[in-house]
Amino acid sequence: MRRALLVALVVVLAGSLVSTAFPAPVEPLRIGVITSLTGRFATFGKMQMAGYQVALEEINRTGGIKGRPVELLVEDDASTVPAALSAAERLIAKGVPIILGTYSSGISKPLAGYMDRQKRVLLVSGSADDSITKPGSEWVFRAKSVASTYASTLFDLFQYLREQYPAIPLNTVAILHGTGAFETSVADGAVVYAKARKYQVVAREAYDRGLTDFRPILNRIRGLNPDILFMVSYEEDAVAIMRQAKEVNINPKIFAGAAAGFAIEPFIKGAGDAAEWVFSATSWTPDVKYPGARQLYEKLKKAAGMEPSYHAAEAYMALIVAADALRRAKSLSQEDVRDALKATKLMTPVGPVEFKDFLGFKNQNPIPMVVEQVQGGKFVTVFPASIAPGKPKYPTPPWDKR
Amino acid sequence: MRDRLKTLAWLGAVLVAFTLYPWAFPTKLNLGVVIVLFAGMATAWDVLGGWAGQLSLGHAALVGIGGYTLALLSLRAGVPPWWGLLAGMALTGAVAAFWGWIVFRLRGPYFVLSTIAVAEILRLVAINWKDLTGGAEGLFLRELPRPFGLDLFNRTVEFYLALAYLGVALLVAWWLSWSRFGYSLQAIREDQDSAMAMGINPTRTKILAFMVSAALTAMGGSLYAIYLSFFEPHIVLDIGLSVELALIAYIGGAGTVFGPTIGAVVLLAAGDLFRNYFQQANLLIYGILIILVVRFAPEGIVGGWHALVRRLIRPAPGVPVEVRGERP
Amino acid sequence: MTTFLQVLMTGILTGGVYALVGIGLSLIFGVMRIVNFAHGEFVALGMYASLLLFQSLGIDPYLAIPLIIVGGIVLGAVVERVFIAPIIAAPEHVSILMTVGVGLVISNLLLFGFGAHPQSIFTWYSTKTVRIAGVTFSGPLSVSFLITLAVIVGLYWVLTRTEIGRAMRATAQNRDAAELQGINTGVARMLAFGIGVALAAVSGTLLLPVLYVIPTIGGVFTLKAFVVTVLGGMGNVLGAIGGGLILGVTESLGAAYISSGYRDAFGLIAFLAVLLLRPAGLFGKSRV
Repeated sequence: MRRALLVALVVVLAGSLVSTAFPAPVEPLRIGVITSLTGRFATFGKMQMAGYQVALEEINRTGGIKGRPVELLVEDDASTVPAALSAAERLIAKGVPIILGTYSSGISKPLAGYMDRQKRVLLVSGSADDSITKPGSEWVFRAKSVASTYASTLFDLFQYLREQYPAIPLNTVAILHGTGAFETSVADGAVVYAKARKYQVVAREAYDRGLTDFRPILNRIRGLNPDILFMVSYEEDAVAIMRQAKEVNINPKIFAGAAAGFAIEPFIKGAGDAAEWVFSATSWTPDVKYPGARQLYEKLKKAAGMEPSYHAAEAYMALIVAADALRRAKSLSQEDVRDALKATKLMTPVGPVEFKDFLGFKNQNPIPMVVEQVQGGKFVTVFPASIAPGKPKYPTPPWDKR
Repeated sequence: MRDRLKTLAWLGAVLVAFTLYPWAFPTKLNLGVVIVLFAGMATAWDVLGGWAGQLSLGHAALVGIGGYTLALLSLRAGVPPWWGLLAGMALTGAVAAFWGWIVFRLRGPYFVLSTIAVAEILRLVAINWKDLTGGAEGLFLRELPRPFGLDLFNRTVEFYLALAYLGVALLVAWWLSWSRFGYSLQAIREDQDSAMAMGINPTRTKILAFMVSAALTAMGGSLYAIYLSFFEPHIVLDIGLSVELALIAYIGGAGTVFGPTIGAVVLLAAGDLFRNYFQQANLLIYGILIILVVRFAPEGIVGGWHALVRRLIRPAPGVPVEVRGERP
Repeated sequence: MTTFLQVLMTGILTGGVYALVGIGLSLIFGVMRIVNFAHGEFVALGMYASLLLFQSLGIDPYLAIPLIIVGGIVLGAVVERVFIAPIIAAPEHVSILMTVGVGLVISNLLLFGFGAHPQSIFTWYSTKTVRIAGVTFSGPLSVSFLITLAVIVGLYWVLTRTEIGRAMRATAQNRDAAELQGINTGVARMLAFGIGVALAAVSGTLLLPVLYVIPTIGGVFTLKAFVVTVLGGMGNVLGAIGGGLILGVTESLGAAYISSGYRDAFGLIAFLAVLLLRPAGLFGKSRV
């Protein structure tokens, strides 16, 4: 009996010695992600996942977070609010230090409200609606640009063109926008900037999405002869608007697109020659002059298996920011993660990141947008000059003179 | 009388069982609130759709009015949510009275079509009349007063509020199952002309049923607004929501006390359980289920259950059996 | 003035296509007393089928029309046999729920098969316009309108000059009497549904060059079809033409001169008004 006990003791001692020689595998750090893998927004969810994957690879290649490899706990919100809220509840129960999400503003808003009440950190990675961080909350952060920046950036472009070409009068604006939350908020912003910078808004037309024929509205706007046609539409409508603008023969000096619809590849493919000369504001382009932008584009393209949209870049940026904060955080408690995020000062291939409180926003990164223009069937980034390689072509010739 | 009390006892049992939910599933409270709210709203829909046989595909409008009334009164006039809820119920009751007075003179599928049209118009109004409704941006319920110190945004509190709501809805359905009013609804559903011959005024009765259904739905809508805290027309005024309520009630068993609740529990819980496989196919499955139910089991899950029970206790031929009185 | 004419013309051209969507629904209701809540989904099916033919085989939508018609009739007949015929005697809300279910299945299968993102085709004529007296018309929309007229004429011929057309009209007027006359109402109903579906699918094909398609676009078309049939009178095929034109013009004028945000509301309000004031439709109660 005593022999057996002695043997057991030796085995145990030997085992513990052995185990210190081979340390136990490091527990990976899991970051929560909520995105639309299925449902209406699935294509955007796919883009977000591509961005997250590229960022994840980079993070793990550079040592993970405090020596721990990073994993993503991905939950599908199925493009609906109830599923997103349940997903957040699940992730919180699993104790993730931070949650990233989602694409649609309609879902991010209730999600932000919920996370605020639960006192958990949310880093908004894909939604642009101003109201998510305005007035916002101490627990909700957003690194990507907000909806109102679409309008302010384009009006900065108009100002620039006014100064560069003083002989061409640029005074009247007609605004055309979808009735969705995002489109309306951008249009509201446009009205504010127009008034502030002395443009006259000659028309403001909203259309409901669906089986939409823009010809009646475009006809009416044509009669008002605006210098600028300011459009806020999603992809499908953007294509239809430009095609019908050509048909109806409406000829403003500037076609300005202030939403996703005008800034992605399918727009050029769908509208064909009607897309030429159109300006659009967007968060990010592959040729913008931030360090590493072009390489990021190549990686995103590979990860997505197709032309990546800026949503992929924004998702990439969000995860990079999250990892950076977690590396600096004193602990993984929500208060420490929140404080670490607040102290962020980072330059990424998608732009600079700092979380500030300004103009009613809270924890919002004042990241600028860029303007691209369709030149020769391709997007060229043309403004602002400090980060754009190209130059705007102006004024837009009438349809029959192209 | 015995039947009546038996159903009431079951009702109590169901509610008691539900009260244990937050203790049993503390990490699935979001799902729980949604299940209970939808069970209540489907029961409310069923008052008109199942008991009275008037198929409405526009009930989202009533959910929306309930939600918006509570939210707008709270945000614009500081009215506490319990008054806002009652105001929403009163408003929808009035809307239903007016709406019903207009369309119940029509028969056939015209009522159904009118419900779709009215709900759509309301959605467009909510989107376009920004000054009133906040437009497509929607509304944000940031703060709400705390009755008895309770935080209305706490999911457990919301669960019990929703449960109270379900209790009210079930009591109404229970009342329909033995009251004269309930019988006149069923008479109209089965054969409107014969009902008239019996002295029932179909238009007036349908309007009353609609008012009850509407107010009850709005009650759920108000609670749903609190749960979401941030909602837009697209979420609460969408025709998809109307269809979902109708299907939940129907698949569970229209015209029965517990059918809609069973439908909500089965469909929504299964949707969550199988979300990894079926998330995308959720609506597809609803579609397939409704086709199957309509074709093979028009009385839904409840009917199927009764049929199964009957089958199991089928006596030997020749032996007389006391069959529980049941509705066709 | 040119603006007004342009708006009016666009309304008429679009209205023509709406009419085609509505006629199918009206035919189905007339012969079968069924309100097909999946009607818009068949329009979407037509659009996707044409999209597929264009993308994989390079077949132009206009050339694909005969294929779509045949496919539509077959599909409609199958759907009718499998889903509708068994419940033909049941109360009305049953067929409503059944067709709602069929619609849900179709739109979700489309979602699976084609994805949620909007798709459109780009042909050499997509942005071509026709200019007459200073008024610009969309080229493809004009062609679609002309083809719609041809299809309607064809339908009229089938209904009035063929045996099966007469059978359908007889069934529409009085099913029992038709049976007594030796007409196989089952076949008549099956074909009526088939033709109704084919008409819906063709209108989808005609709309593809001028619009985009997403799996949920069916719902919008179903609602438009309802408005058209109610305006024209449920079961009144010729009335549906008038209904379609009225809807098209109302929407176009309303969107241009009153408010484009409420564009769809104009049609719905007209729809409710007709339902309440003249449920038989604006064009009387004549059947087919």
